[in-house]
Amino acid sequence: MESVQTGTYKVIGQGLTRPDADEKVRGQAVYADDFHVPDAWYGAIVRSPVSHGRLKGLRRNPDFDWSQVVVVTPEDIPGNNIVDMMGRDMPFIAYDEIQYVGEPLALVAAPTRHLAREAAANIEPDIEELPALCTLQEMVAQYKKDPEQLHELSAQTIRKGNVDEALAEADMVIEREYSAGHQEQLYIEPQGMVAIPEGDGTLFIHGSMQCPYYINPELCETLDMPPEKLRVKQSAVGGAFGGKEEFPTLIAGYCALLALKAKRPVKIIYDRNQDILYSTKRHPSWSRYKVGLKKDGTIHAIQCEFLLDGGAYTTLSPVVMYRGILHSAMGYRCENVAIDGHVYRTNTFPNGAFRGFGAPQALWAWESMIDELAAACGMTPQAFRLQNCLRLGDATPTGGLLRDSVGSPEVLEKTLERCGFNEKWDRCSRGKPGERKWYGIGVSFFAHGAGFTGDGEARIKAKVALDLEYDEQRAPIVNVRISSTEMGQGTCIIMPQIVADAMSIDLKHAAYPMPDTFKVPDSGPTVASRTAMVVGSTVYSAGQKLKAELETFVSETLCDGQPVVLRDNAFHAEYDGKQIPFDEGAAAYLASNGPLRVYDQFKLPPHIKWNQKTFEGDAYPAYSWGCNVVELEVDTLTYEIDVTKITAYYDIGRLLNPIMAMGQIQGGLIQALGYAAMEKIEVKNGKYDADRMQTYVIPTAMDGPEMDLHFVEYPWDHAQPGAKGVGEIPMDGLAPAMANALEAASGVRLRDLPITPEQLFAELQATQPRSA
Amino acid sequence: MATTFEEMNCAFPANLAEALELMSDEQTRGRPLAGGTDLMVQWESGVLPMPERAISVKHLPELRTIEESDDAVIIGSAVTHMQLRRSDAVVRYLPSLADAAATIGGYQIQTMGTVGGSVANASPAGDLAPSIMISDGDVIVASVRGERAIPVNEFWTGYRKTDMAEDEIIVRFRLPKMPEGACEVWRKLGPRKAQAISKVMGSCRLLISDGHIEQFRVAIGSVAPVCVRLRAVEELVTGKPLNEEAIAAAEACAAESVKPIDDIRSKADYRKWVTGRMVRGFLEQSLG
Repeated sequence: MESVQTGTYKVIGQGLTRPDADEKVRGQAVYADDFHVPDAWYGAIVRSPVSHGRLKGLRRNPDFDWSQVVVVTPEDIPGNNIVDMMGRDMPFIAYDEIQYVGEPLALVAAPTRHLAREAAANIEPDIEELPALCTLQEMVAQYKKDPEQLHELSAQTIRKGNVDEALAEADMVIEREYSAGHQEQLYIEPQGMVAIPEGDGTLFIHGSMQCPYYINPELCETLDMPPEKLRVKQSAVGGAFGGKEEFPTLIAGYCALLALKAKRPVKIIYDRNQDILYSTKRHPSWSRYKVGLKKDGTIHAIQCEFLLDGGAYTTLSPVVMYRGILHSAMGYRCENVAIDGHVYRTNTFPNGAFRGFGAPQALWAWESMIDELAAACGMTPQAFRLQNCLRLGDATPTGGLLRDSVGSPEVLEKTLERCGFNEKWDRCSRGKPGERKWYGIGVSFFAHGAGFTGDGEARIKAKVALDLEYDEQRAPIVNVRISSTEMGQGTCIIMPQIVADAMSIDLKHAAYPMPDTFKVPDSGPTVASRTAMVVGSTVYSAGQKLKAELETFVSETLCDGQPVVLRDNAFHAEYDGKQIPFDEGAAAYLASNGPLRVYDQFKLPPHIKWNQKTFEGDAYPAYSWGCNVVELEVDTLTYEIDVTKITAYYDIGRLLNPIMAMGQIQGGLIQALGYAAMEKIEVKNGKYDADRMQTYVIPTAMDGPEMDLHFVEYPWDHAQPGAKGVGEIPMDGLAPAMANALEAASGVRLRDLPITPEQLFAELQATQPRSA
Repeated sequence: MATTFEEMNCAFPANLAEALELMSDEQTRGRPLAGGTDLMVQWESGVLPMPERAISVKHLPELRTIEESDDAVIIGSAVTHMQLRRSDAVVRYLPSLADAAATIGGYQIQTMGTVGGSVANASPAGDLAPSIMISDGDVIVASVRGERAIPVNEFWTGYRKTDMAEDEIIVRFRLPKMPEGACEVWRKLGPRKAQAISKVMGSCRLLISDGHIEQFRVAIGSVAPVCVRLRAVEELVTGKPLNEEAIAAAEACAAESVKPIDDIRSKADYRKWVTGRMVRGFLEQSLG
């Protein structure tokens, strides 16, 4: 087995403060709406009022003064009217069939925001309305009746062993269905972008985003522009959570099309209401399981159907579904697995990326199911998990071998022990009458694939660069040039930490400037818990290359050809013991040769094998592992549910910056609490009902329970420094742990997210009718 | 109609008399604007059309004080939620009102929002309404024609409707103090623990003597077009011994007394049931 020797780390592993903390806390960070662009016009969008229909025409009000306004319709698009994502089925501007409420029908720009909106309101579409399918519930009902009638956007299967035979052999077969609704990312600042036509024929796109290299190629076809003419730069981002992964291409496209026609900068900043109505959300999901068990509690067969409500177009939904099915039977030993994943169209805004990317939906169902399976064979949830959980050397549902860095079962054992699960499990209320409060405890255990799903990393081949150059004070600096963005998670501190240790220099000599596609190579998108592991390890090896280049230079030019080692921020000559501080050596290089750029590229370890057609092999280069225990109380007077404590252990590989990592876990758990118990959107006449922060309720600090959170470190063995993913795993386990705890408290099982007092009331009324 | 805040004309009268003068004339009349925590949101979102004129009343000194008489607390209409929750008189004599004010919005909203604004907004989810109603006090409104007292229980006439004339401004509230030995309880069910708009909320005032219920007043919000006093429940238990029998009867009667709806925040059947449960909780709390 190939293994990289573990380095010794000085800066990595320290909870250092991020360099952007001060300006963000003081409100000085420059977000998309903060920078002043002289002569910029404002854009507005004419949107479809119907969920599904055929566009017959657009009528401009002849009484409106159109002289001050620029209008873009499909005829004005220089290239193809296609948003170049996975399906190539989405137009920038609808021209024939309309697929959702809010779909753009025309774009408008004007000198003021108000005038732009007024102009948009003076364009009236003529639409022939068609029947629409707008909700997960309608979609699932149709799936059960006749799936052929649904419009399938994507499908994929996983097969291992023989499930039909295994179900027949099983001592018992348990069938269950679970579902979950939309979740809005609700980042701090809404979507916003500006497009600026430059004098040299380039188009500069600047705004709120997490993946600059999505926008660049995706817009080139539409604008009929070579990639080198399109410059994309990220502004400060106050959170994205996936909501700024693929969506910004759309708003960037609207700005770009308007700017090219108006021949001036055009800016579009959504307000919160527009942002919730007309941007992506987490896919609503439905899972149906049929699981065969042996009497001794062995899981003998897992059959699963996993459905996502894709919204109107394909966008990234196939990959969300892939991650979903890859996590739908993950974590436990089973020789016979059959999973069918589907994404179907509904007539709503396309659903998209959101922290966890299909895994939270899958694990919500699967980890609820595990408790139901344990109960069916008369075991406690903890004993069932300990008996069946995957361990080092076991195979995943796709037959991938867990070769190394496996935090299971340690995270499970440690969490159960830490919170005193066994003893607390025995005193759960289970709906006992006459109690003022019901107490319950529940557990979830899960793995989260680190890095892009399936063949993603092999395709992306993440490229990174390090630039040795002068900073503004004319001091030598190593700038990390990657397209991975800072959006709150701490990229801006972990990357300099990695460079510092890779080169053995002080942290102050390394920096992370915000990505600009004219300066950074394509390191792939900032998604999939991949930045620290994939891009971070490549930055580390680039750092080692840069170190070697400088050592050679210093040896030849300053040390008479003696071997030279850069160590502890100084070049050490081997024979005469001469020491040259890093910045002197680097300055000498710059003075003699000018700036130095080194590149490196991510390479998967050779043993990682994956078949993208059959979904067999190693779906991910590594997994992070986690265990959540939720304790809660139900007020029996009102059925209000109060999560009082979360105990958790995580294995995210090498901890690069424990403070940042803990911040990800804490914040992610609060976001997961919203998903589990608060955040609810229903589609009414094709429109989201909760379309403001007044009605879309997320947790506040007051809702945060006591948290007892810990890490165990199983570094990824195949690249230094050995981080795995932390970004998404906090979203994965809270909802099922809460539903499991709620059953222990109340005696009833809820299978739809979010879990609410209203739902508990309805379920308790149904199972134990009582007189009012 | 104004279409932007810039177009809206906002007057800042020097005193109450000047404000009433502006309100008296159709040409100068405007929407009274206090903290703006409801209106600004409704205007911006288009829930309410933006008026051409607004008249700021929050700064008027006549409306900003809390005073005490022998039997009542007199609260100016521009008193903020923050003032309410911190007022000794309110905490002591109208404790459920102080508790309710403490659950409205966050600090920013509590610092801007006012009692008069919340009452004039006439939302069935207005968190101050139940505590005001159980005091059986008066809303004092004024115009150039003079002042008049409207009993609080007659002030709200329908969903977002009040008994005020278009030239009138709420100037203060006269809310009788809780009797000696009585207690008040406020309870709010929201989707989260802070900054929540209520699913159901309510207040009660309870006086027990000799194990009997001498006085019970209860009002519940978010279960009807206006916040409601549950008179049938009050009558049912007054004079009865405080025991499980009375509590069960009150719970059943309360659930039957309200006609809630399904909306974005909750479900009708849950609201109906939980209204009874809240009344049970109010009475059980006093049982100890």
